[in-house]
Amino acid sequence: MNLWPVAAVTFKEGIRNRAIYGISLFALLFLVASQLVSGMIMQDVGKVVVDMALSTVSFSGLLLVLFVGINLMAKDLDRRTIYMVLSRPISRSQYLFGKFLGMALLIITTVALVGFFAVAAIVLTKLRFPNFFGQFTWWLVFLSIAYTTLSLILLTALSFLFASLVSTSFITLVLTICSYLIGHAISDVKALVETPQAVGIQVAPLTVKLVQGAYYFFPNLSLFDIKTQAAHGLAVPLASICWTVVYGLGYTAIVMILASLIFSKREFP
Amino acid sequence: MRRVVPIILLCALLPLHAVSLRYAAQARKALPQGREEAAYAIPGPILKITSLEFDGLASDLMFLRALVFYGSTYERKEKPRVKDWEWQRLYRELTAATDLDPYFRDPYYFAEGTLPWDGHLVNETNLLLEKGSKFRDWDWLMPFYVGFNHFYFLQDNAQASTYLMEASKRPGSSVTIASLATRLAVKGDRTETAIVFLEQLLTQEKDEEIKKEYKVRLKALKGIWVLEKAVASYNASFGKPPASLNALVERRLLRQIPVDPYGGTFYLDEDGAVKTTSDLRHKEDK
Repeated sequence: MNLWPVAAVTFKEGIRNRAIYGISLFALLFLVASQLVSGMIMQDVGKVVVDMALSTVSFSGLLLVLFVGINLMAKDLDRRTIYMVLSRPISRSQYLFGKFLGMALLIITTVALVGFFAVAAIVLTKLRFPNFFGQFTWWLVFLSIAYTTLSLILLTALSFLFASLVSTSFITLVLTICSYLIGHAISDVKALVETPQAVGIQVAPLTVKLVQGAYYFFPNLSLFDIKTQAAHGLAVPLASICWTVVYGLGYTAIVMILASLIFSKREFP
Repeated sequence: MRRVVPIILLCALLPLHAVSLRYAAQARKALPQGREEAAYAIPGPILKITSLEFDGLASDLMFLRALVFYGSTYERKEKPRVKDWEWQRLYRELTAATDLDPYFRDPYYFAEGTLPWDGHLVNETNLLLEKGSKFRDWDWLMPFYVGFNHFYFLQDNAQASTYLMEASKRPGSSVTIASLATRLAVKGDRTETAIVFLEQLLTQEKDEEIKKEYKVRLKALKGIWVLEKAVASYNASFGKPPASLNALVERRLLRQIPVDPYGGTFYLDEDGAVKTTSDLRHKEDK
């Protein structure tokens, strides 16, 4: 397979994108803020700083996928630069998977960079308030960052699917944001409609069925969110890690295969 | 010439911007607004949905909001410092914070230090702490707080004993707690038990403001305890209760009557129990 050249070009193009500086700046500012906030907390300082650090990592990753990732793929179609690529001896699915590989590398690099700052912020707080870190374990922090990476790669795969379906990058962006929102809310919504008495509302049986159906259709991104566990040092069993990784990779593979099927059949104007 | 027109326009528009901002903001303030007292609290399960993957962060912010609000009331001159509906709002905010992250220690801790004391929200605080006790199942302080509230505010020794037993089983709890639990189950020696309780709380406390509050209460309770012991020994020596607390000093059982740190005076009621005119509350809170 001839994936590497496309992947390398995509990665370089992404790294050169100025948006990356903005994202890094945002991450740095947020981590400085975490230092200020942690001074206001009475007891659970460790929890708050881990919350803020890990949230920074996932939010900057999200910005990367939405504002750099989508441009890399969808702008090729928008600006018709794709004709140049397709005239070369490379198949359409090779192009698609190469782009995806480059984007995945870009995500891993950026998350590693922001993750480094996040870890630095935690270390700094730990030095300042060593007695206020309850049951804290480093490996859960790293696991959480790895989970975030996996969920961002899944989201990128979805954005590729949307890009091969629709004609403008703006619609791809909107659809990706929608899937992100649904993906993180769906399991809470399912829990809510299955036990509506918790907030004293009534839910029609049809709605429950619809939500349960949607639960299998949309990606359940909340599976990759173990920030609470990491913040409190709660146990994450090995079986749950294995199943989550299998789910993430499986869903990504399904979406990418669908995307390449659609993309190969697509007619360009 | 071509450059002059935009510059003149800018010079004219900048003051207009400042003036319009000012008046627009004033006019907005005058718009009819919902009463803050009746503000609706969003239920936890809904908040969990809207905060997406940032539940923990949302919980931190909700807690800080409550904390900053409570801190800001110290600047107020009016009495009581915090109104009833504001206590209710604090309770709702702390509930929301712990719905978002039920493992977060600070909201429980802050609630125990404020809501049952001046806010008189004892049952609500217990409800909150029961959640804390369920999720933070390694933390002995959660059932300890509930036990303390049952003993001190609700005067229910049997319930208090049950919660303390639970606390004594958790890691890190001291031997005192187990003996407190048994003492509560056996007899109602309230003042001494309360002192032991408060001393236990004080050793755990790191917040200076709350510490100060506990210390004042401890001092008052110790005063009552000294008086109670003196009354008991008066009873034993003379076969009848003293007519007033001054009798204790006259008979040299006490050198002097202790001072109530809340600003009241200790007295002996008809049943022979030691009370204080301050009712163990700061004057301004009454």
